[in-house]
Amino acid sequence: MKKIIFQGLLLIVLFFSTWFVLQQINWVTILRIKQTTEKTEEKLDELLWETIKTTEDENTNQLVLKSVDSLITKICNYNDIERSKIKFNVINKNEINAFAMPNGRLVIYSGLITASEKQEELAGVLCHEIAHIQLNHVMKKLIKEIGLSTLISITTGTKGSELIKETAKVLSSTSFDRGLEKEADIKAVEYLTKAEINPEHFAHFLYKINESESEIMKYLTWISTHPDSKKRAEYIIDHSKNNKVKNVPVLKDETWNKLKELVENQ
Amino acid sequence: MIQKTTFIYKPGEHETEKASNSYLMSLIAFIVGLPLPIINLLATFFFYISNRKGTYFVRWHCTQALLSQFSMLFVNSFGFWWTVSIIFYSETITNHYIAYMITAIIFNLSEFIATIYTAIQTRKGIHVQWWFYGSLTHLICKP
Repeated sequence: MKKIIFQGLLLIVLFFSTWFVLQQINWVTILRIKQTTEKTEEKLDELLWETIKTTEDENTNQLVLKSVDSLITKICNYNDIERSKIKFNVINKNEINAFAMPNGRLVIYSGLITASEKQEELAGVLCHEIAHIQLNHVMKKLIKEIGLSTLISITTGTKGSELIKETAKVLSSTSFDRGLEKEADIKAVEYLTKAEINPEHFAHFLYKINESESEIMKYLTWISTHPDSKKRAEYIIDHSKNNKVKNVPVLKDETWNKLKELVENQ
Repeated sequence: MIQKTTFIYKPGEHETEKASNSYLMSLIAFIVGLPLPIINLLATFFFYISNRKGTYFVRWHCTQALLSQFSMLFVNSFGFWWTVSIIFYSETITNHYIAYMITAIIFNLSEFIATIYTAIQTRKGIHVQWWFYGSLTHLICKP
């Protein structure tokens, strides 16, 4: 019996030591997995953004872009996120929406800025979308919804523009899995806390639009694609209650008001 | 790892064929059910059930084939679900994952080669006993 246990244990040790030794090799670099993934994401982003740009009205106002950039830069700097990896564009549209695209691109609708009473509310949504990017949720969602082979055929140019439009629609108007949404929310709380932005404002934003009147619901794309916003607000509060966050505004009040004014008038 | 020994009696022609088939069964099922690790275990298990009243030589080899499949089930299932979570969920391809898959392939390949070798030897009536599985089979399978 002892012999059997010894032999069995030796087999287990042999398995785990082989695994351990092989782990010391940097397979991801050798097999160029990262580069291949990055190239696919870059190409997808290029194609999708070209499609969105032709159908939507892009906001190019320097004050709007610089203000949003200041918010994103602070979030990135305080959370060790490489700033150059996050790109963003503002679209003039009444819908309250923001979504993440492959290759770290954030698309923000002007309706979201209008609906945000405070800059901290907008920062909350930005953190949530940055979390989707950082946690690699975007490609996961596309693989699940569109399929890996279709995505590759899009990037190699063998599929038509209709499919690219459909892919852009998947990103802008469908939600992630409930689990991924929660993961992004919790990460967003972490980002906000580190960036000295009180996460309670983000929770408040969710509460607020959850209770909005039904007639404006047609504009609340971000909420309709992110279900259970009340529940989400509750666990955001729950996750942030133990952290005493000093709230340091990124933008001056007049800059924030000017930003709102600019997007409202466009 | 593999040891040729003499069995307690000399098996007949029909016994060597059946015993050899138990290994072939796991090989065929291995190829057919490659994406689903449980398939080869089930195939070997049904072969074992149908031969559990066979002669001692046949039962012994059916048991050894089944036990070896059983341990590979754990290795392969873990690799299978890890792959599924990479394709459909938020897991990413890491060095740990690639190293695990290579380890799993090495172990599967060793088992595959050992199975082919044992199937050939058993067909010739030679008793082949595997490291650990042979001793375990002796413990479970009595004349």
